[in-house]
Amino acid sequence: MELQIESAVFTAVLIGCAGYAALFVAPDESTMHAIQRIFYFHAPTAWAGMDAFAITFIANIAYLVTKHPKWDWIGVAAAEVGLVCTTTVLLTGPIWAHPVWGIWWTWDARLTSTLLMWLLYVAYLMLRKMLNTPEQRASYSSIFGIFAFLDVPLVYFSIWFWRTQHPAPVVFGGHLDPEMSKVFFFCVLVMHCLMAILVRQRYQLERMRYEIHEARLAAEDYAAQAAAFPVAKGSV
Amino acid sequence: MRTERAVAILLGKELRAELRSRELLQTTLIFALIVVVLFSFAFDPTAAESRRFGPGLLWIAFLFAGTLMLNPSFAREQANDTLQALRMAPISAFALLLGKILANFLFLLTAELVLLPVFAVLYNVAILPVVGRLLLVIVLGTLGVVVTGTVFAALASQARMRELLLPLLLLPVLAPLLIASVEATASLLNDEPVLDPTWTVFLAAFDVVFFTASWLLCEHLMEG
Amino acid sequence: MEHFQSLFIAWMVVWAAFFAYEITVAVRLSRARVDLDRVRTFLRLS
Repeated sequence: MELQIESAVFTAVLIGCAGYAALFVAPDESTMHAIQRIFYFHAPTAWAGMDAFAITFIANIAYLVTKHPKWDWIGVAAAEVGLVCTTTVLLTGPIWAHPVWGIWWTWDARLTSTLLMWLLYVAYLMLRKMLNTPEQRASYSSIFGIFAFLDVPLVYFSIWFWRTQHPAPVVFGGHLDPEMSKVFFFCVLVMHCLMAILVRQRYQLERMRYEIHEARLAAEDYAAQAAAFPVAKGSV
Repeated sequence: MRTERAVAILLGKELRAELRSRELLQTTLIFALIVVVLFSFAFDPTAAESRRFGPGLLWIAFLFAGTLMLNPSFAREQANDTLQALRMAPISAFALLLGKILANFLFLLTAELVLLPVFAVLYNVAILPVVGRLLLVIVLGTLGVVVTGTVFAALASQARMRELLLPLLLLPVLAPLLIASVEATASLLNDEPVLDPTWTVFLAAFDVVFFTASWLLCEHLMEG
Repeated sequence: MEHFQSLFIAWMVVWAAFFAYEITVAVRLSRARVDLDRVRTFLRLS
């Protein structure tokens, strides 16, 4: 419990520093000026989201191999947090686009792929909601999760090959000013810390739900046994 | 029992069941036809536009028809608990899955092949010069739909709201396939028809990836 | 700083999203803890 509070405080401090760095430390960009600073929240969140989905993928495989419930807990925790990250990316994208391009949404490669990835993980969570037992939920969502993750590169490639309009990749394959790089990678680190904390919390929630389920089953078992051997009235 | 023999027997069973009533094939085909006709009311195609939107409409019709057809094909098993019986039989989970995949493939492909000339007439599209290559694209695309669709139908069969859940699961995953099929079909229906190599290879890759994933995961699919 | 409003809104959106999620998880967690205690007490007593 203490470790949680410490890491939460630590992350909050990091977030404050990242925000300060993004808004004031990073140098101004030449073409877009201030609005480009959204990049320091938008892109790192996107990376954290993708890493969260990668964690889900690994957890899905691990569950199918070991059948240990903890992998399912990790899977759903990472998927939910990844979805929050992706939602944020989809919201900050248009906020960035509007002042720069004058439009809220453009069906360019990256935005469209991100939207589709968002839909895939919404589907993952919906499938879990509609399944009834924890074992089915774990196995079946793991299968779907694996398919969804395998689909992601196919999504990105097909949409990229089909359209391109997004600003050219700035980090790899473009030139990022060293000052900007430092701020950017700091923000990437901060976002990952935030993601990790949220995943751990959600994991604990899932574990607790599982324990409740097990405890309820034990209680029902007990009640069933008691009913099977009724004590005659007045005999004890 | 060897996989090939099990698959052949299962496929035979599916085909015989369907041929007796033909209800799945008929409803799938008519639904696809309705979609195609409805689009023409929504979009009012002139000759040029029908060339541009045609491939997209065709594949949307295929996709919707396929999605709707997949649930009933599993629901049939549940009526008499035949799925349990099949699982207890000495056949591998993969044979079971493959039998279903092949049956669904044949049904959907049949519906599509009947729809294709109708589409060509309604939208004034010349398919005869490219029919061989077009068939290749349609087969590759349909395989992708059916492989992922059958697996997801198995997942959804155990869930609530399965009629809504299946499209919700399937359509996002099939988005790349839709893009590739439409682009490949469009380049075949152009003034200078050409079989786009990138998209065709992509379709094949899509099929291979998901077929392999289905093969690797089929045990877990069938035990639930 | 030009476009400060948009920047600020983006900043708020990001943190609101994460904060809202964190709150929902924390609330469900405490409710679950209560539930678990209840079931465990029942088991212990019976």
